[in-house]
Amino acid sequence: MTESARLRVFVVDDHALIRSGIRAELGDAVEVVGEADEVEAAVELIEERRPDVVLLDVHMPGGGGRAVLEAVITTAPEVAFLALSVSDAAEDVIDVIRAGARGYVTKNISGPELLDAIRRIADGDAVFSPRLAGFVLDAFADPTGQGVPAPSFDPELDQLTPREREVLRLIARGYAYKEIARELGISTKTVESHVSAVLRKLQLANRYQLTNWAT
Amino acid sequence: MRILAVLSVAVGGIGVLLYMALWVFMPAADEDSSIGGRVVGDRRELQIVLAFSTAVLAVLLVLQAMGLNGLGIPAWSFLAAAVGSLVVWRGASPAESARLRETLNAAPVIGSTPGTGWRVFAARAVISAVLIIGGISELSKIGNYSGAAFRVLVGAVAFVGGFLVLFAPWWVRTLRELSTERRERVRAEERADMASHVHDSVLQTLLLIQKAAGDPSEVTRLARLQERELRHWLFNPAMLGRHADQPETFAEAMAGVEREIEDSYGVGLDLILVGDCPMDDATSSLVSACREASLNAAKWSGCTDLAVFAEVEPNVVSVFVRDLGKGFNPDEVPADRQGIASSMVERMVRVGGRVTVSSAPGTGCEVEFVLPRCAGDR
Repeated sequence: MTESARLRVFVVDDHALIRSGIRAELGDAVEVVGEADEVEAAVELIEERRPDVVLLDVHMPGGGGRAVLEAVITTAPEVAFLALSVSDAAEDVIDVIRAGARGYVTKNISGPELLDAIRRIADGDAVFSPRLAGFVLDAFADPTGQGVPAPSFDPELDQLTPREREVLRLIARGYAYKEIARELGISTKTVESHVSAVLRKLQLANRYQLTNWAT
Repeated sequence: MRILAVLSVAVGGIGVLLYMALWVFMPAADEDSSIGGRVVGDRRELQIVLAFSTAVLAVLLVLQAMGLNGLGIPAWSFLAAAVGSLVVWRGASPAESARLRETLNAAPVIGSTPGTGWRVFAARAVISAVLIIGGISELSKIGNYSGAAFRVLVGAVAFVGGFLVLFAPWWVRTLRELSTERRERVRAEERADMASHVHDSVLQTLLLIQKAAGDPSEVTRLARLQERELRHWLFNPAMLGRHADQPETFAEAMAGVEREIEDSYGVGLDLILVGDCPMDDATSSLVSACREASLNAAKWSGCTDLAVFAEVEPNVVSVFVRDLGKGFNPDEVPADRQGIASSMVERMVRVGGRVTVSSAPGTGCEVEFVLPRCAGDR
């Protein structure tokens, strides 16, 4: 991505107010190539216009953001998704992430923060808001407290490493990636790779291991 | 209980009757009304049972008049049995009636499909008439043939079977209608609940917001209040209606802190909770200490958003209260704030925890609370 080529962004939300709010927040920094207020139109337009990043509402009539993801992920795999919502139950957010979104932020995010998140998503990174970090920590909670993994098909996938846990905790505490890097004495790139690793585990992990979402 | 009933069969069978009576008139372990109670309590059910008993009685009387011994002891006991089974049927809880229905649908003669024509009905009527009359005549002859146990059996089965064939489709249908009705009632109640909530809470807040349009901080406060309440209502209904002053778990108590700080100081408090545990003395000291830290941050940092992260792990509870405000040098804290800080530290030390304050001018402030949990807590 070069500075001259603006990112092409697509907005999917069933509330017109929110869509225009997002457009206003983003301003001229990105090019909003379209918007949709329901699942079918969203799928069609995304496949046609191939945006760099889709801002996706978690809750929508007709299956929500998850339905859009499931339809588009095979036909337009290069499109990256950022889930965006007011406030949701942990299961819904985790579902959208598992369906392929690369991040989750809440709608009260400030304009510059949202822009930063869009850029990172477009670069192939994951974007975890403090709330998502909390959900993920909860989902990967270690029930024994002894660091003993529960029986599983692939313990690599079903457990977070101590470092990943540390990074998630700092995100949940409200630290920016740069601050996390300073705190842990690692580079921002390394922080990003930890977060991406968590995202991968989240998308591939055995559902049964993620006990806290199943309940 | 069941074993007692079986044993009592040997001594005259009174226990069996007693067991049946208890089953009908005592509520099941997880229900608040008994089968009998439900029927007697509902006017419509009572009418159905009474009408049915009257009809059966009338049939018996007619038979009596025709010269058949319709009012002998066997006939009375079958009347009781028929009425009893109706009571059980109508009064059965959804789980029980589902079981009954399954059993019935499995039976080939009785299982009814909607839309079967009059021919099927006629066949049913004829079969049941034959069965009932045959059954009764068998039974009425008992007096003439001593020791005709086989006939009693055949008569009884035919009699009851006749009624089953005749009435089963109707019973099954009524049962089905009843459960649909119940489902619809529950749905309607949910809708009404939602409407009243929207009215009481959301519309009122919107009105207040319109009135306070000139005061941005009041608008923000109201909007936050409503958002929090609605979020609770949508995602955490179990916690609604509980007394906020007596939280039962750590998460509830922290939610209480969030509420208090946002309402009193007009700042946003982003609370992220991982895990939960019941409240005890140590955790309530932790919660009070967190409240003080958040209050401090809300008052002094000049920052409008606080981030609070609380995690309950098997061995430790930790809370981080962070602001991105003006910050301070922890070694040069003014005397009036020193008191607050030390009371926080004292509280935590008393219950075996610790507090770490990290801050520097211009970088905001983070207070870390760590409280080890004893093994007994789990």
